[in-house]
Formats: sequence, structure tokens, C-alpha cells
Amino acid sequence: MSVQLFEPDHEGEVHPLTFAALTVVLLAAAITQVSVVARVPLPGGHPDLVLLLLATAALLEGPIAGALLGFVVGLFGDLLSTHVLGRSALVCCLLGYLVGLLADATERSVAIALVVVSGAVAGGTLANVAVAGLLSDGAAGTPSQAFLRAVVAALYAALLTPFLFPAMAAGVRRTRRARGARRP
Amino acid sequence: MGRDLKRSRLVVAVLLVITFALITIDYRTGESSGGARGVVHTVVGGVESGVTTVVRPIGRTASSLFHPNRYHDRADELAKENADLRRQVADGDEVTRQAAELSALRLLADKGQYTIVPARVIAIGDVSGTDWTVTVNAGKADGLAADKIVVNSRGLVGTVVSLTEHTAVVRLFCDPRSRIGARLEGTQLLGSVAGGSGPNKLVFTLYDASYRVRPGERLVTFGSLDYVAGVPIGEVTKVTDADGLSRTAEVKPYVSVGTLDLVGIVVGKPPTDPGDRVLPPRTAPAEEGGTAG
Repeated sequence: MSVQLFEPDHEGEVHPLTFAALTVVLLAAAITQVSVVARVPLPGGHPDLVLLLLATAALLEGPIAGALLGFVVGLFGDLLSTHVLGRSALVCCLLGYLVGLLADATERSVAIALVVVSGAVAGGTLANVAVAGLLSDGAAGTPSQAFLRAVVAALYAALLTPFLFPAMAAGVRRTRRARGARRP
Repeated sequence: MGRDLKRSRLVVAVLLVITFALITIDYRTGESSGGARGVVHTVVGGVESGVTTVVRPIGRTASSLFHPNRYHDRADELAKENADLRRQVADGDEVTRQAAELSALRLLADKGQYTIVPARVIAIGDVSGTDWTVTVNAGKADGLAADKIVVNSRGLVGTVVSLTEHTAVVRLFCDPRSRIGARLEGTQLLGSVAGGSGPNKLVFTLYDASYRVRPGERLVTFGSLDYVAGVPIGEVTKVTDADGLSRTAEVKPYVSVGTLDLVGIVVGKPPTDPGDRVLPPRTAPAEEGGTAG
């Protein structure tokens, strides 16, 4: 199966239907992360579904949608937690924006998507720990533990991206077509 | 393209200002688990409970997943029956395990004469992976209140921090914000255990500097208005500060937070302090001399 590369949206426009679908996917991922993924014993650590899906979505949809999606899912995660409100919203919003800026690069190669998503997951994990540390609000363990967690999360991201990225690209294309069909 | 970049910068700037405002407000006002938080906890708690009921046997009874009821089309009756039997065996194991866990929890509660509400863990941590908390499927409706001690069959798990009708968030002992009054076995010396050093290590501070803490000594909760006394916490592994004004030591907790499933929330205190009787009996009697104090 050859991977059909996805061409990012050049107008930087946020498609409402696509955006809504991605929001639902990310909120579901947030719940799955804490109630399923976190308790399944996996070698090394755990994949971070939220950062993984957010980075992929931002790569497909560009910086504006990335920032908005990150803000929404981060705030949802904050509301679910007991830590300071807005903490993961900050990290996810920035992550979505920065990854979104690289959206054009995915036209060249799917390998870039792999590297960007894994890097974003590692960076996001470390940023979460760093912000928690700065606010002295949570932040577990030593820096080396955090680093290890980030590396493991990035490895899982690298394993999952080859399947996830084409699947999400197809999903995004479908939601856009549904919108285009209604208003040709 | 330049206009786009400008617009996206504007969007992200606005969002960042909002997050900073949220952080500042929430940081200043402290534990203001206001309306929105309560609503989200209630709704998501229901979803998580459902998800846990469905997915919980994952890992322990993985075979049931690989042999689901997907054989209708092939009409392969034997294969289907085989799969059903496998699943029943797996379910049986799971039920036996749960029963054993529940009776172990009951035993601990009976030893300390605690009134407990059993509950299951339905979510671990938070999205950012930095919170040492678990969500359990019991709440206000089951008689829980904030600051109650949570135990499992081995000992202390944490304390309740926030509640909805049917769920509660428990702060684990290893959270950096967790600080629980502790007492050395066989003495009346007060100290406290604090988290923040990872899941398998607690830091114990003894307020009385004249007492020499030794490795192998065990800790139970001291008890206060909200906290119940006598819950086993862990065992001293290393004394880190022997000369200062207070004594600090590293403690290995009895509970491993990675495998939490069934927990009990202590909602009723015993009429008298249970002392040290909740601790498991010593396996090495040679060490008894060290605890006399």
C-alpha cells in the first residue's frame, strides 16, 4: 500500500466540520488516555494519545486549527484534573501552533511527519513536566525519569504514526468532501 | 501566506493570553474546583466508569479479547463454543482475583475497625501525565467526603481531594503536594511523610531529633480530625539526615501505585486508636528489639 501524501490546507482556513470531528476525536482520546491507556501494562511506559493525535491533527490542519484544538483539549484535560487550570491548555496550544507551522513540510515526505510527530510528543511531555515544575504543582520524579518518559512516548508515537497519519488524513479528507458536496 | 501567518499569530497570542489568565486566576484562588470542573468530572466520571466495566479485564485476561464472539459468519460452532469457554475461564479468574482482593481489603478494615467504602479505580493521572491522582467510582452519594484516607489491602494509598456525586479524585501519597502525619511503630513519635520523590519512595521527617530512626522501622498514619490513625504506610529504608534538628529518612511504601485497582475509602473512624495492630506481623523477629524506642 503506497501512502498517499496529504496536501495541507494552504488557505489556513479552519473547516468547521473537520474541526468538530477532530475535537471529538481528541476529547475521546483524553478520556481513553486516563481510563484505558494509563492502566494497561505496556513495556517501558505509555504512549501519549492526546499529544500524538494533537500533533497529527495540527500537521494536517495548520497552525490556527492546531492552536485551537490544543487549547480545547488542554482545557478539557485541565478541567478533568486537580492541577492548576490552564496548564495543559498552555502546553497543548503552543504545541498545536508550532507543529501546525510545519504543515507544509509534510508535502515532501511522510518521514518528516514521523519525525515531527515523535519530536512533538517528546517535547510536549517534557514541556508538561517543566510547566508543572515551574508552577510547583505536581511534576513527578527526577528530570531523568521525565526524560525517559518522553523518550518512551516518542517511540510509541513513532510506532503509531505510520498507521495513524494516513488514517487521520483520510478522515480529514472525507469530512472536507462532505462539506464540499453540500456547497459545491 | 504572509497574511495567514499574521492571522495564526494573532490566534495563538489570544489563546495564550487566555491560558495565562486562567493559570493566574486558578493559581491565586487555589483549590477552587468550581462549577465547570464539577460538571466535567461528573460527565466524564460516568463515561470512565462505563469504560472501566468494559475494558478492565484487559491485560489480565487478554485471551478474552483475542477470542471474542466474531465467528457468527463462519458458523463454526466449535470454535465459538471454545471461545466462550475460554472467556468463561478468564472471567472466572478475574472474579476470583477480585474476590481475593476484596476480602484482603476487608481484613485490613476489620483489623483497624475502620468503616470503609470499597471502590474501583476508573482513571489514572491526568492528560499531562504529571498528576499523581486516581479517580475512583464512589462519590458523595456513597458517603465520601474530602480529606478521607484511602487504603487498599496493603496500606495507605492517599487522600480524597475532590468529589462529585459518583466519583472522587484521590491524591496518591507520592504526589509532591501530599503530606500525611505519620507515627513510628511502637512509639508515639510524630512525623510526616511527603511525596514528590517518585512512586516508590516517600520522605519521612521525624519532628523529635533525639530519637534515632533505623532502617527497617515501620510507619503508620498518626491520625487527626479527618485522617484515621493506624493505617500502614511503609518501611524505613535509609536514614538520610541524622544530625540536623529533625530526622529525615527514606521510606518504601507498602502500596505500589502502578497496580492499583480495588481501594477502600475510610469513612468511619474506630472508637479507639488501633495502634500498630493493622501492620502485618513481622517476618523477621530479630528486628523486634530495634522498635522498642
